[in-house]
Amino acid sequence: MHSALREQFVCTVLGNVPLCREHYRLVLGLREFPATDPGQFIQIAGRDLDIDYNPEREIDWEPGRAPDVRGKELMTPLAMLRRPFSLAGRRDTPDGVELDIIHRVVGVATEWMSRLNVGDAVHILGPLGNRFHLPAPEGLAILVGGGVGIPPMLYLAERLAGQEGVAFCGALTRDLLPLTILAGGRSPGIDSFEPVANIGEFAKHGIASVITTDDGSYGFRGFVTQALERYLDGLGLRVQDSGKRGEGDLKSQISDFKASQTTSAASSPSVLSPQSSVLRPSSVLPTLYTCGPEPMMKRVADIASARGLPCQIAVERAMACGMGTCQSCCIRVRKPVDSVPLKGRDWAYRLACTDGPVFMGSDLLW
Amino acid sequence: MPDLSVNLAGLRLANPTLTCSGTCGYAFEYADFMDLSRLGAFVTKSITREERAGNEPARIVETRAGMLNAIGLANVGLERFLNEKVPLLRQMPCPVIVNVAGHSFDDYVETCGAMEGLDCVAGVELNVSCPNVKDGLTFGTHPGRLKELTAQVKKVLPSKPLIVKLSPNVEDVTVTARATVEGGADALSLVNTFTAMAIDIHKRRPRLANVTGGLSGPAIKPIAIHMVSRVYRAVAKSAGVPIVGMGGVQVWQDAVEFMLAGATAVAVGTALFVDPASPNKICDGLAAYMKKQGVEKLSDLVGSLELPGDQPKTSPYP
Repeated sequence: MHSALREQFVCTVLGNVPLCREHYRLVLGLREFPATDPGQFIQIAGRDLDIDYNPEREIDWEPGRAPDVRGKELMTPLAMLRRPFSLAGRRDTPDGVELDIIHRVVGVATEWMSRLNVGDAVHILGPLGNRFHLPAPEGLAILVGGGVGIPPMLYLAERLAGQEGVAFCGALTRDLLPLTILAGGRSPGIDSFEPVANIGEFAKHGIASVITTDDGSYGFRGFVTQALERYLDGLGLRVQDSGKRGEGDLKSQISDFKASQTTSAASSPSVLSPQSSVLRPSSVLPTLYTCGPEPMMKRVADIASARGLPCQIAVERAMACGMGTCQSCCIRVRKPVDSVPLKGRDWAYRLACTDGPVFMGSDLLW
Repeated sequence: MPDLSVNLAGLRLANPTLTCSGTCGYAFEYADFMDLSRLGAFVTKSITREERAGNEPARIVETRAGMLNAIGLANVGLERFLNEKVPLLRQMPCPVIVNVAGHSFDDYVETCGAMEGLDCVAGVELNVSCPNVKDGLTFGTHPGRLKELTAQVKKVLPSKPLIVKLSPNVEDVTVTARATVEGGADALSLVNTFTAMAIDIHKRRPRLANVTGGLSGPAIKPIAIHMVSRVYRAVAKSAGVPIVGMGGVQVWQDAVEFMLAGATAVAVGTALFVDPASPNKICDGLAAYMKKQGVEKLSDLVGSLELPGDQPKTSPYP
């Protein structure tokens, strides 16, 4: 029953770089890490587990030396549970593996992470969850990231490697875009939704981008979904009556996605294998990939379904374990009435940690 | 290697570490992260007669040194448990205790009755105190009903140890403990989570969709220790009924504390979410502690706490 694919690891901080206001890129180095795919995540302990779990620490004190009270919860809150973070990138080097985590400081765990120094130890658990299903070689990938939902899009861009792609990145304001806006890159007009190679992380993979800010401080002024709609309209992918063009392609893409997911979902999580997906050629319809705030993702799902486009969504949910035991990261999905679980209902809860985090937009009831 | 084995109401466990129901899935969820063969026993998620979807999210929230949960007994139900989970449990490398929850006497009796004939089930733990479901009867806080329930379940489960998991949300836990023992419980486990609440101050709303949830984690450990100590001295010791201590167990020191207070075994819950291997590490720590203290049998520790006013066990003076 032991798959040897997922484990607890202790990493070394190789880099901790502020990217923009409240956002950091944490680079974690390990000797070895199981194979991973875009969409997958790891659980990071937002404190030093060794301090709390060292069985000998009670007697680890000498007269004349101040006792070590780190990890003792006095007045400082500590993150008890781990926090899930999607992978923003991965590099396999002769020395080992480097994992990129991009996070925004929102609480005790991320605050602790933001203060890490090069050489510090970080406890992680993973890799966890399913993965994005890559588009067919000739299919366009449209990446839509909002705020701190952008990181998994960076890993996906890395894996698309030369395939045709375009990235839409939105934030409240320019200061909250955790991205490298290329030097000399003038802000496109506030009504511009034409992709240009102005984000370093995407441009190096040949992917042009559209930046949107809610306040118009950089790029398109408005929501990322508004720019996306206008772009799709421009491609001729207009809102259509259901049952028309692309329906067959959509169905085949969805069944492809499901076939790739059932290999893991149907078996026990312990045999969940990120490598079990066989990428099968599908249609030439563009595929949407999205991660970000829930209202944004819902809108992206609606935009995709109105145009008959497949849409893969990496959802975010509060999680205690990430391993399918705490049952807290549930999300409502559509299902046939006669199927399990919950026979007789047309919906069921699935877990973002083991059934997801990637779901087909057409399945989600949120 | 010191002798870590304990006897839990006739179940001989290789060591005193159990998992807490609801924190470890149905069977092999943690197989990649812990050595299940080194568990004293595995306790499944609560099973109810009917399948349950559970509560709306948000179902958990972290608090200082603890967390609240209001999962709402989401589970596959008895039929799917028998079809899908029992074949997995047959392969478990440690004894399996099935946790059963219900909303009526019939619910409990039918579900527990289905366990009687299963070889792979070493024992049953009754969840009479899930604080997060609103439908059905309340058993955990009602001594008379609790005694009746224990007696009815014991009737359909004659060959397996019956553990009753007590709620801490009562005025006096020794009252419910006594009722359970009088009903015929073979062992007690305590404590379940404490009913609690957390508020989002920006939205001025409860942080859980269920409004309230059960508090677990290190925050509750000292209260759990006190309750185990009280129940041990007031009820369990004289009745010869062993206690499974739980509530904030993270490290071996916590396990020792529970055992000194009167627990025969300890169960790890919330800590599994952070470190699924913690039961294995607790065993290592217990072995080292025993060596240092010169304890040959771990079970000698059980209830060996001396309180002021106790007769010293052996006088150092002639």
